[in-house]
Amino acid sequence: MAEVLIKARGIVKDFGETVKTRVLFGIDLEVRAGEFASLIGASGSGKSTLLNIIGGLDRPTAGQVIIDGTDLGSLDDDGLALFRNQTMGFIFQSHFLLPQFTVLENVLIPYLIYAGRATPAAEKRALELLDRVGLNHRRDQRANAISGGEQQRAAIARALINQPQMILADEPTGNLDTSNTEKVFAMLREINLDLGASFIMVTHDRSLAARTDRVLEMSDGMII
Amino acid sequence: MKSSFWFEISLARRFLEENKAQTMLIVLGIAIGVAVMVFLSALIDGLQANLIQKTVGRSAHLVVGSADYGAANASRARAEHRVLLQDNTQQNVAPMVEWRNVSAALAADSRIETVLPVVEGSGLIRRGQADCAIVLRGFDLQRGDRIYDLSNSIIAGSRNAPDGAVLIGKDLAEDLGITAGDPIQLELSGREALSILVDGVFDLGMSAANQRWLVMDQRQAAALLGTGDRITSIEIQVKQVFEAEKLAREWETHLPGYEIESWQESNASMLSALSSQSSSSYTIQFFVLLAVTLGVASVLAISAVQKSKQIGILKAMGIRTSSVARVFVFQGMTLGLLGILLGFGLGLAMSKAFIIFARQDYTLLMKPLTSAIIILTTMVAATLSAYLPARKVAQINPIEVIRNG
Repeated sequence: MAEVLIKARGIVKDFGETVKTRVLFGIDLEVRAGEFASLIGASGSGKSTLLNIIGGLDRPTAGQVIIDGTDLGSLDDDGLALFRNQTMGFIFQSHFLLPQFTVLENVLIPYLIYAGRATPAAEKRALELLDRVGLNHRRDQRANAISGGEQQRAAIARALINQPQMILADEPTGNLDTSNTEKVFAMLREINLDLGASFIMVTHDRSLAARTDRVLEMSDGMII
Repeated sequence: MKSSFWFEISLARRFLEENKAQTMLIVLGIAIGVAVMVFLSALIDGLQANLIQKTVGRSAHLVVGSADYGAANASRARAEHRVLLQDNTQQNVAPMVEWRNVSAALAADSRIETVLPVVEGSGLIRRGQADCAIVLRGFDLQRGDRIYDLSNSIIAGSRNAPDGAVLIGKDLAEDLGITAGDPIQLELSGREALSILVDGVFDLGMSAANQRWLVMDQRQAAALLGTGDRITSIEIQVKQVFEAEKLAREWETHLPGYEIESWQESNASMLSALSSQSSSSYTIQFFVLLAVTLGVASVLAISAVQKSKQIGILKAMGIRTSSVARVFVFQGMTLGLLGILLGFGLGLAMSKAFIIFARQDYTLLMKPLTSAIIILTTMVAATLSAYLPARKVAQINPIEVIRNG
């Protein structure tokens, strides 16, 4: 059995300043290295909030997130930013590529944020990732000049450039048609198996979830 | 330097390139502001330098006189404003006996260019029915050239008479209806009237000198005035005109019993007018800069908000808030730099055009310090107007973008 990579303990999250609304009620969760977990549940059940907290994009009201031995609560904002950059890859429902940059440059951005300039090795890795997602022929085009499915695949390559230990995907196929959904999911699964990165994927699609290693279902701020 | 710097630079560049029309608009806005500042500075500094040059060019920067008489005599010796006709001229002309020692001491000061002992008295010239009040000024004509450049100012006759030339101001000659070679009837107070020949007519470009001065060699003047070996004042030109006041005060402590008046003192009202002019020009420039800053800030504020989505995703991917702020700072600096380059070109062209079309006879003056101040303040203003509105955007929480995305 692989070791535990992501450990969440007693995660509570309240929203609102004066009127507090509790959206997460003490969640405990463990994801092992290399595991592909899916998170399903109705809208408003707290899946995205939980994913954001695990990903260090948001801080819990109470509880602890420990990733590969690092307590995210012990990091300040800049420390958390660096940790996200080095440890995690994010894939969102929208691709969020930067239209000012080419496809290849977009893939390199998480690397450039700290390294400043691309080394030949980093560029080689970016090209390999573009190959993997089938976008090598699009690499020099502006990010807004390619199709929606291609943009999402570019976003996947971008999530992988820093060789993260975990990928957090928030409805990565939410904006895609059936055939693109299939392609993207197959790609994620393949990356998971090839690179050994852990995945947590939020989705509405139960049939897609059923094809992951573990299905976590949320309801009213708890995992059931 | 942090390596993330390069990414911040390239991000700033891409953001600017993305909306070229907007970038050009901002650059043009800054350029126009800079152009106005350059234009105003070049014109006003040029005008003032020209005025000061006219004031100090052909005149004494310092006038040394005796303490009991110095100031009044000094202003007259400088022939700026008026001639005092006094009954007791002889007493006034007498006081400096030790002038040779004083002149030698002054001449030894390396900051002093020319030392010119002058003997002076007032009187009248009669010709027919005309009576003209004059100032008789006697000094070494060779040495006097270094201050007054008489040799190049003779418009009729000659300066080189065998036994010392007698020269007369252009306007005075016109009033008397005479020219070089004509005799005049000179009456010095307390002396008998005598007739002398005018050798030359000069135009010094100063109305006081042209209207009143009768110039001859020091010994000749002393003989006419009956002052013996004494002189009235010592006129001085210094190397650095704006040091004149400081030198005056310094030498006054070394020369007890003497009073020294600097050109700044005798032109105090002109200098204060010039400084008021400068202040009003600075005020205009300040408000131009303020207007440009506000304009640039408002455009960049909108542009920053438009990019909040991209900033949010960059932050999810781990960019630091300070990095994002620097991206906007670099944008502001780039816009500032381009605006300054264009603005200086535009401003200098405007100034040149003004000189040509308004037919002004003075030259433009763009002081290095003024340029440096314009560049610096514009850079600071452009940077701040990019940074301040972007601060909020830089602090954006990525989940706000992702949730709404």
